[in-house]
Amino acid sequence: MVLLVDTTTKHIGKAIAEELLRSGENAPGFELIDTTGMHISHCVGCNYCWLKTPGVCAIQDDYEPILRKMSKADQVWLVSDTHFGFVSWQTKNIVDRIMPLVTMYLKFKDGQMRHVMRYDHQPDIGVIYTGDGDQGYLERWCQRTALNLGSRSLGVYSESNGKEAVSCML
Amino acid sequence: MHVVIINGSPRVQKYSNTERIIAAFAKGLSEKKTTFETYAISSRKTWDMIRDAYIKNNEILIALPLYVECVPGLLLEFLQTLPKKDEHTRLSFLLQSGFAEGCQLRCGEAFLEKLPEYLGVRYGGCLVKGDNFGIRILDEEKQVQVTKPYQAMGKLFAEGDGFFREEAKKFTGPEYFPLPVRLMMGLVFKTLAKKMFQKAAASWGCSVPLDEKVWETDRKGY
Repeated sequence: MVLLVDTTTKHIGKAIAEELLRSGENAPGFELIDTTGMHISHCVGCNYCWLKTPGVCAIQDDYEPILRKMSKADQVWLVSDTHFGFVSWQTKNIVDRIMPLVTMYLKFKDGQMRHVMRYDHQPDIGVIYTGDGDQGYLERWCQRTALNLGSRSLGVYSESNGKEAVSCML
Repeated sequence: MHVVIINGSPRVQKYSNTERIIAAFAKGLSEKKTTFETYAISSRKTWDMIRDAYIKNNEILIALPLYVECVPGLLLEFLQTLPKKDEHTRLSFLLQSGFAEGCQLRCGEAFLEKLPEYLGVRYGGCLVKGDNFGIRILDEEKQVQVTKPYQAMGKLFAEGDGFFREEAKKFTGPEYFPLPVRLMMGLVFKTLAKKMFQKAAASWGCSVPLDEKVWETDRKGY
């Protein structure tokens, strides 16, 4: 299952979904979430999802259904505008609030501290971006983010390389 | 020197680890007769005031917690509201995290290194330090004790070289823990730390295991 979470102002996720559909019988099951009009707050760092209501975010807004889908997906693609060469704050808010998927508990993995994951299944993470993204930095960030989730990076693709990203989804 | 210190944490100031760190750092500034004014972005109501201080001053320090390998979303949103300035303004950072090793903060630091250029200002360096998760749950006396090393960094910053001096680089501590330390800490994580976290959770009113699988995955149902 592939999940596309689109926060872009140009709604480029739609074109990616169409490209996926054109893949015919090779097309994986997928869902496109366009966050336009949704109310998704930033993470407030309350730590409730670790220490008070483990696994559940304290903020009651439109985010939880997205997180539930992210937790079950095989691939999560963050479809984002860029600013300062990085993903938009809208996309960063979505990533910051992924914390209910990890627990407070710690371990060492590959020589570094990591949180113990809450669930057995972890989604791989990829980025598709519009604008003047810093490709090298975004790749580094995506790899590190996947490391935090105990999964792997699917890579980072500019809008113009959207077809390449789609080939990773098949 | 007069420093505008911006707390870039989304957490309310009352419970902000970054706020405690800033308090210690500012004490160090004061000892060197450096003045400062502090702000926090956690309340949007203050954003106009913070932006105004950013525009009018030329020595800016943003202190922030690492959120998923980079700056918190709320801080990114605030940064996008800042106007471009010129190289007369110097922008420095104090980046802190819960994870203890220096390697955990390098991805965030790399973003901060490039950020001033996007804003048109000069980079003043980044003080990097982990192992700050528990500050908020300590009593006041212990908070002062564990944040005291930041006071020395405030004094160092007041000397005018930003965070480029060797002392600031050493402040981070080890990039990775050596294997014997990892083995020992790993054991603590599985035993004492688990109990400590569960105890802290109980004091917050939590009655379920901290690793509760609340949405036990029905992946077929996707």
